[in-house]
Amino acid sequence: MNKFLMAGISVAFLAVSASGAFAQSKLSRNQIINSLQGAQQKVDVSADALQKAAFENIAKYPGANSPGNLPLWDKLASLRQFNIEINFDFDSARIRPESYEAVGLIADALHTPYLQGQTFYIVGHTDAKGARDYNLELSIKRAKAVREALVTTFQVPGKYLEAVGLGEEQLRDPAKPDAAINRRVQLINVGYR
Amino acid sequence: MRRLILGFTTGLLLLTAPAAFAQTVGFADAIKILSASCGKDIDKYCKSATLANNGIGQCLTQNQSKVSQKCNADRAVVASLIQERMAAQAAAPKVCANEARRLCKGVKAGAGHVLRCLLKAQRSVSKKCNTAIDLAGYR
Repeated sequence: MNKFLMAGISVAFLAVSASGAFAQSKLSRNQIINSLQGAQQKVDVSADALQKAAFENIAKYPGANSPGNLPLWDKLASLRQFNIEINFDFDSARIRPESYEAVGLIADALHTPYLQGQTFYIVGHTDAKGARDYNLELSIKRAKAVREALVTTFQVPGKYLEAVGLGEEQLRDPAKPDAAINRRVQLINVGYR
Repeated sequence: MRRLILGFTTGLLLLTAPAAFAQTVGFADAIKILSASCGKDIDKYCKSATLANNGIGQCLTQNQSKVSQKCNADRAVVASLIQERMAAQAAAPKVCANEARRLCKGVKAGAGHVLRCLLKAQRSVSKKCNTAIDLAGYR
């Protein structure tokens, strides 16, 4: 397995030198560490409960858009966290090569003593374009793809990572539901479990 | 093969000059190196492969006979440098255990507190422990 491991890691340089990836190339491992370290409180929101809340939100408040914050969200909002843009192929969970380096930086951060031993939720979000249930399913697949990349290619112990997709149920900027700022992967430090 | 590897390692050290003595690499740097070496091959042979299940790595392995020599060689080297980093990270706490006891009395273990203390005390820390920290990529 280790033999082809690094093979996973490839195309990226092309992408880094391409214009679109400029913002990502400024990102550093220490920036991610600084945002995520220092877990304090105990959190009693499980990844499963959070995932379930997103499905229930759609069932309970059907319609074009989510009415607002998910019930469990307040408990997570104050935790150490970091938002990162990871690009995927259209309508797909395939991580685009220009984002490999960003995933690699997350891995490098998670491999330091500052973050080791703590559990992280990898939460995928979409913007509000398209159907809510479709977006929810897509975001679950994408969050799982990021987790899997970290666990396989980047050797982060899987027991510390849980993937959750929230679709468009928890927008970052509800005033602009279709804006790009809503499309992000959020890492949340839920502490020592 | 061994000659190739040595050749590449020298090149790599030049590439990563700022980290003068580090002979390991992290994942983000590894990507940068490999995208330069394997980018074209991936475009050609692995267009639909994913990072998620190690798919790109498996694809390059399956196409090993067609993939450029440089890509094959660099993959092997980078993989071993990554494994060395992982090993260094596992070893660092043991290598630095005495320093930690000596210089970081009362510092709570966990969450990187001891590492932070050792980084601050760099000048009083032994060469062996400082090197271990370098190789682990913790600087």
